[in-house]
Amino acid sequence: MPLWKTEAITLHSRRWGEADRIVTLYTLKLGKVRGVARGARRMNSQFGAGLEPFGHVEVTFFEKGQDALVRISQVDVRESFLRLRESLAQMSAAARLVNIVSALSADRDAGTRIFSTLLNGLQSLQDKCDPVLTSMIVQIQILGHTGFRPQTDHCASCNNPYALQAARFCAVSGGLLCRHCEGQSHGQSLPMSPGSVAFIQQARRLPFPAATRLKAVGQIRREVEAAIEAYIMEVIGRQLPAMDFLAAESHPPSYGVANDQRPFPPHPMENNIEVSG
Amino acid sequence: MSVQQQGLLATLAREFVKLPGIGQKTAHRLAFHIMKARSEDALRLADAIRDVKAHVTFCVQCRNIAEHELCEICQDPKRDRTKVLVVEEPSTLHAIERSRGFHGLYHVLSGALSPLDGVGPTEIRAHELEQRVKEGGITEVIVATNPTIEGEATAIYLTNVLKPHGVHVSRIAYGIPVGMDIEYADDITLTKSIEGRREL
Ligand SMILES: [Zn+2]
Ligand SMILES: [Zn+2]
Repeated sequence: MPLWKTEAITLHSRRWGEADRIVTLYTLKLGKVRGVARGARRMNSQFGAGLEPFGHVEVTFFEKGQDALVRISQVDVRESFLRLRESLAQMSAAARLVNIVSALSADRDAGTRIFSTLLNGLQSLQDKCDPVLTSMIVQIQILGHTGFRPQTDHCASCNNPYALQAARFCAVSGGLLCRHCEGQSHGQSLPMSPGSVAFIQQARRLPFPAATRLKAVGQIRREVEAAIEAYIMEVIGRQLPAMDFLAAESHPPSYGVANDQRPFPPHPMENNIEVSG
Repeated sequence: MSVQQQGLLATLAREFVKLPGIGQKTAHRLAFHIMKARSEDALRLADAIRDVKAHVTFCVQCRNIAEHELCEICQDPKRDRTKVLVVEEPSTLHAIERSRGFHGLYHVLSGALSPLDGVGPTEIRAHELEQRVKEGGITEVIVATNPTIEGEATAIYLTNVLKPHGVHVSRIAYGIPVGMDIEYADDITLTKSIEGRREL
C-alpha cells in the first residue's frame, strides 16, 4: 500500500456517490493521477475546499491493490486561486488550461515542466493577464512539453527550412507547410504571417513570467488563435469548451452540443419560450 | 445468499442495482425481502412507484417537483412573490424549505454552468429565469447555487444577465458551519466568510 505525498494541481473534480468526489490531479511526483476523496462533499469534510479545480495543494494519497483510483487521505491548500473565480473570462481560460493538461498528459507520467507551466499559467490568469493570450501561450508550451510541438522551423512535410515565406499552417501535418507541399496536401490549412510564426516561437521559448509580456493583436492574434485551436482539436481528437463560451451575453449562440447529449431532457415548455436579440 | 443469474428474482435484483447507492449484495437482500413480504405490502410499493411516474412531474413555473401544473409553493398565496431563490436542483430547494428560512418563490435551474465541461447557458434553465424576471413583479433574485466552480460561474452569469432588468441580485453567504470551531475551517471558507461579513 504505497503512500505518496506530493504537490498537485486539481484538474477536475466530479461528484461521486452520496458524498464523495472523484478528482483528477496533476501531481509533481507522479503526473496525472485520479483518486477518490471520501466524504469530500460533506459540510464537515476534512478536505474542505482543498479539492476544487485549479487549487495548488499538497496531497497525501495511497494506492489500493490494483485499483486505478488512489485514495486521497489528506489535502493542504498552498494556493486556492480563489480570485480566478471572480470573472467568467479568467475562469474559462483556467478551465482550458486544466483541460489541455488533462487531455495531453498520460496517466502516471511525471512532467515537472508541465506542472510548472500550468502553475505559472494559473498564477498569470489570477494576476489578471489577458485570459485568451495567456491561455494561448500556456497551450503552446504544454504542447511542447507533451511531445506535440507545432512545427514552425521547417516545412512539416518536406523539412525544407528555407521555403517558409507565405507558408500556411496545417493542423493535420502538425505545423507549417511550404508552398509546394501545401499545394499537394488535401488537408485544410490556415494562413500564417511571419509575425504569427514569430509569436509561436517566442511563446514556446520564453519562460514565465516573461512570456506573459508577449503581445498579439489584430491579425496575429486571430491567426495564432485559429491555428492553435485547429491543431489542439487535431491532436486530442475532440473539441474542448471554447475559451469565451460563457462570455457575458444574455443570449449567447449555441455552441455545438447536440440536443440529445444534454444532461437533462428539454422542458416541455421550452419551445414556447421566446428568445430575443 | 445467492440469486440465480436468470429468473424473475434476478430480474428484480438487477432493477435494484440500478438505484443510487445500491450494490449487488443489498439488491439481492431487497429482492429476497420483496419475495418474502406479504403480497399487499409488496404491491403497495409497486403502486407507489407507478403513481409517482404517472402523477409527479415538474412545476411549469419553477421546475420544482409538482403533482399539478404548478407546485405547492408556486400555488401558495402566502409566499412572497417578489423574491425568487435560485437553486441547481430540487434537492437543494427541499433542504431550504426544511430550514423554513425562506418564504419567497424558487427557480430550479436543473444544472449549473461548467467552464470545465462546457455546459453553457442553453443547457440550464437560465433563459426561463430571465423570462420570469422580465414579466415583472420580482424585485430580488437570491442565487443559491453551490460554492463550486460551476455554482460560481452560474452566479456570475445570472448576475450579468439579470441586473440589466433592474432587479436586485444577491448571493447566499459562505460561512463557518454553526457549531464548528473556526480554527478548523479551511482557508477558502475562512476568507469567504470574512469577505461576506455583515454589520452588527
Ligand atoms: Zn514542404
Ligand atoms: Zn413551482
